[in-house]
Amino acid sequence: MIRPAPLSSGWATQIRGGWLAAGIGLLLLFPLSYPDAYLLDVLTTGFLLAAFAASWDVVGGIAGQVTLGHALPFGAATYACALLTRLAGWPFPLAAAAAVLLATAAGAGVGQLASPLSGPFVAVLTLALAEAAHEIAAGHAFLSGPGGYAWGGEGGIPVVLPWGDAPPIASYYAALAFLCLSTWGILRFSRSESGLVLRAVAGSPLTAQASGVPIGRFRRLAFIVGSAFAGAAGAGYAAHVGRATAGDLSLELSFQAATFAAVGGRGTVVGPVVAALALHALFQGLSLPPAARVLLYAGTLLVTLRFFPGGVAGTAREVAARLRSRDRNRGGRRRRGGEAPPGGSA
Amino acid sequence: MTALLAATGIGKSFDGTRVLDGVTLSIAPGETVGLFGPNGSGKTTLANVLSGLLLPDEGSIAFEGRYVTRLPLDARYRLGMARTFQIPHPYPSLTVHEAVRVALAAAVPRPTGGGRDEGIEEILSRSGLFDQRFVPCASLSQGCLRRLEFARALACRPKLLILDELFSALSAADEEDLLALLRAANREGGAAYLLISHNRMLLSSTCRRILYLEEGRIARERTV
Repeated sequence: MIRPAPLSSGWATQIRGGWLAAGIGLLLLFPLSYPDAYLLDVLTTGFLLAAFAASWDVVGGIAGQVTLGHALPFGAATYACALLTRLAGWPFPLAAAAAVLLATAAGAGVGQLASPLSGPFVAVLTLALAEAAHEIAAGHAFLSGPGGYAWGGEGGIPVVLPWGDAPPIASYYAALAFLCLSTWGILRFSRSESGLVLRAVAGSPLTAQASGVPIGRFRRLAFIVGSAFAGAAGAGYAAHVGRATAGDLSLELSFQAATFAAVGGRGTVVGPVVAALALHALFQGLSLPPAARVLLYAGTLLVTLRFFPGGVAGTAREVAARLRSRDRNRGGRRRRGGEAPPGGSA
Repeated sequence: MTALLAATGIGKSFDGTRVLDGVTLSIAPGETVGLFGPNGSGKTTLANVLSGLLLPDEGSIAFEGRYVTRLPLDARYRLGMARTFQIPHPYPSLTVHEAVRVALAAAVPRPTGGGRDEGIEEILSRSGLFDQRFVPCASLSQGCLRRLEFARALACRPKLLILDELFSALSAADEEDLLALLRAANREGGAAYLLISHNRMLLSSTCRRILYLEEGRIARERTV
């Protein structure tokens, strides 16, 4: 009997790996073309947003818990960096580590509340929690000691960085390295046994539970891991922008991550990263006001969900499977034609 | 001998309608029990309560002498009480191999490394799914889906299988294959089972004892 080939055959993995290596190579060489500082800044921010989108994919894609409040761990990390360096006088690396821990704890808290829920209830709960944090951040001011400045509110809080204003090219390479590392980490998690179990929970919670999987515990794990990576992206963003603002906790940011993941292909990790880079660069290039950007993201999300529910990666996979099936059918017909008795058509 | 499963006075209502009314039953280790009853008699509700998918309103359930009434489905699976569903819910993005791997990941004791791979292959071979191991679960035929349900249940080395209409809507050949698997699980693996079916002939040929459920009560019982 002919055994069907594994879904992910060796050559397909090699082709994917080749594309990825070529993309990373191009991004590594790009600064050698002497681009202006604005373009480098757009790409640096794009790398950090792409890492954030990949972290959303852990929760919303791999685990299937569609969150609209993923800005919460991201913003918690940027605020922790700002508060700890500006008001507590911590060195930035220590503050960044604490920020990642805080984001992870925030994720554990959200996961605890969201794990018994599914579908739109998760989206509403996470949206409410992040919006509450956003409102608090926008309305609260922190005093930096007696007679000192009042930081916070809409103006945000500056981050104290040991390197001051880093050259754009250094920020670019640091953010690119961070994106590669975090994507690699998330891919490793996605392909681990925990990642497999999470995909099972996302696909059919009932069957997973009947297979002995404590689904609540795994959903919490997804929130914890996704929030840890979002927190790391937030710390990187704080280092790049030099300020934590209420916008870091905004619905727009959560919505962006969900859009990038939907367009790139939920659960594929690399798809959301590529979509984030492409869409961020495109929308920044259009120089749209924030309200128009939200509309554009919403439009992109609607078109994707209506016409390409699997996103770019999912659609490409579907087309490839269809082509393979067509080739097999053609091969089968040719073989059957060859087996026909000679002279049968005379 | 201690009963493997002992359910006492199980009651369950939905919106004021009493679906189970003081059901008491026990299953000995390795015993083969059938559950027969008309539509709406509460067979699937009883399977859901016994397996931990639903909490009973009253009554208690003990498994191997341990009180498990409030333990959820996954915890009971890890104790060795596995169930299959009347309508399988396959994982849309996982292959057959991965689906069995998920079940084996939860099994106690948990096999690791080469032992785990061997375990998956053994279960797939025993269930007749080895050749379909890289096929997505969602594209399996009804017969293969039932086999996969059974393979998933076997992964925890079950002491008790609760099988809800495992043989319904199957071709004669698929039914025969699955029956052979069930008998092997009972004879070689020592698994007791509670087989829920509308098919009286099937129950008579596969079970030593048949319970008749009527209006949420065990109305009578027959030893074959």
